Amino acid sequence: MIQNSGRSGCLNTEGEVHATEVKVNEVEFNPQFVSRMIPKLEWSALIQAAEGVGHRQDLPDTLVSNYENDEDFLHKVHRVLLEVEVIEGSLQCPESGREFPISKGVPNMLLNEDES
Amino acid sequence: MEEAASQLERDHVHSVYERIAPFFNDSRYKAWPRVKQFLLEQEPGSIVADVGCGNGKYMHINGSIFKLGCDVCRPLVDSAWSQGHEVQLCDGLRLPYRDSCFDAVLSIAVIHHMSTKERRIRALKEMARTLRVGGRIMIYVWAMEQKRRKFEKQDIFVPWNPNPPLSPREPGRRRRQDNGTQSVSNRQDFSDKHRNVKSTSSMVDEEDPGSPGQQRKQKLWFFSRSLDSVLDFSSLSVSRSSSRELSAFCSPIGETRGEMEAGDGTPLSRGRGLIRQVSSFFCSSTSRTSLEEDVFVSDPQDQAQKVNSNNTRNGNETVAVALVQDCSSVPLPDLVSCQREQTDSVGLEEVDSGELGQNAQERQESPVHLQQNEGRSTEKLKESCLRYYHVFREGELTQLIEEHVEELHVLHTCLDHANWCVVAEKVQVWRV
Repeated sequence: MIQNSGRSGCLNTEGEVHATEVKVNEVEFNPQFVSRMIPKLEWSALIQAAEGVGHRQDLPDTLVSNYENDEDFLHKVHRVLLEVEVIEGSLQCPESGREFPISKGVPNMLLNEDES
Repeated sequence: MEEAASQLERDHVHSVYERIAPFFNDSRYKAWPRVKQFLLEQEPGSIVADVGCGNGKYMHINGSIFKLGCDVCRPLVDSAWSQGHEVQLCDGLRLPYRDSCFDAVLSIAVIHHMSTKERRIRALKEMARTLRVGGRIMIYVWAMEQKRRKFEKQDIFVPWNPNPPLSPREPGRRRRQDNGTQSVSNRQDFSDKHRNVKSTSSMVDEEDPGSPGQQRKQKLWFFSRSLDSVLDFSSLSVSRSSSRELSAFCSPIGETRGEMEAGDGTPLSRGRGLIRQVSSFFCSSTSRTSLEEDVFVSDPQDQAQKVNSNNTRNGNETVAVALVQDCSSVPLPDLVSCQREQTDSVGLEEVDSGELGQNAQERQESPVHLQQNEGRSTEKLKESCLRYYHVFREGELTQLIEEHVEELHVLHTCLDHANWCVVAEKVQVWRV
């Protein structure tokens, strides 16, 4: 789910995630890995995406310090980042309103020829 | 030009990969060891993008980093997804990623499918954009110069054959042993983690030239003039110098009738369609004549005759698209293999064709050709798909980056099994 949480979007801006079908996989929890990933994320985008898929899990709006040792917190991040998956849904570009479909777990970010 | 470029890629990259996607999961497409090494060297917690990930064959490497894959080919992306990877469909020229979000990027055997220099530059710039400063990109592209052969031209169409004959000696297994432990362990990664890997390889014919059945196997290389060459006059002069050699393959339009007894079936009908299509990209009023005369193929027995008659005629022509037959003694650059030390006889067997005649009589000959050759073609050849490649000369990729992508600084270059491998680092560009 990481790519929906701020990495991708309509050509580099944050996309709003709408999900009609979500799946939660079981992925081995590695706290160090999650800790290392967090600084690379756009936290607000992650929260927005998490809400979009119904897995906000009371994560805070802003990142608190010393999260590296808060295993409970890390577990929640792990869940949203690595376990929750949008199977069917869409990503919406806030600027253009254009929706990119997510189908069978794969977002389709291909633009048509006439869109640039 | 942009539209022609994108159409060429749609027809000879994207749609081909869509058709051959199911065959990509076999053992022939192993992970390049250097790429694996590059991934293993990344810091834990790194986020790495595989742009043009195909079926995700690199995405299982290094569990301590996070990998995102993307590709234009839906069946391949679906296959990668089914292996549990995070992937999306997108265009390499418009990556749906933020600036500076990746610690590393892979571009393995991707940009050589882009049909113009400008698009290749744009692809590099897009990837550079998504790299953070200090992050590195590893790029693999097919090399024009290889150990035992050199592609005649830089812009080629390569057929892909989904149904090679199985060798009785099981070269697949032997190949792995020859390769040493590296590739064996790669294979085990695959089979342990994800799927049952069968050793049937569709590249058997190319990797095991010793097998007699396969030496007859036809491998056709189609050479095309680069889409860039409409504007690039230096490529015209290069073509001229090689035209004498290539003119052996050309027959004057009116002489095709006598050569219809070519021994081997070839996808002429397909070739002809391709030729028309490719020619239409390049046609300008001045070059039309030369393009139309070019593509031909003649019977090997008549080769001597034709050289005489052709030289005078075609001495100054450039070749737009030529069909050249490689007797498949040398593997394609997309295979990790130990390349056997065999003499490379790039047999230039000619195939019959008549093409693009400017007068009605010649046009009438074409359909006859078509029927005859259709009948002779083997089913396998009919099924072959043509992929467009721009193969890179030594230094070309480095030069491309140095001259056009200032945000990337080339760290090192090497030739790895017929591929140019370049690693570059994203640097901060200051504008005054």
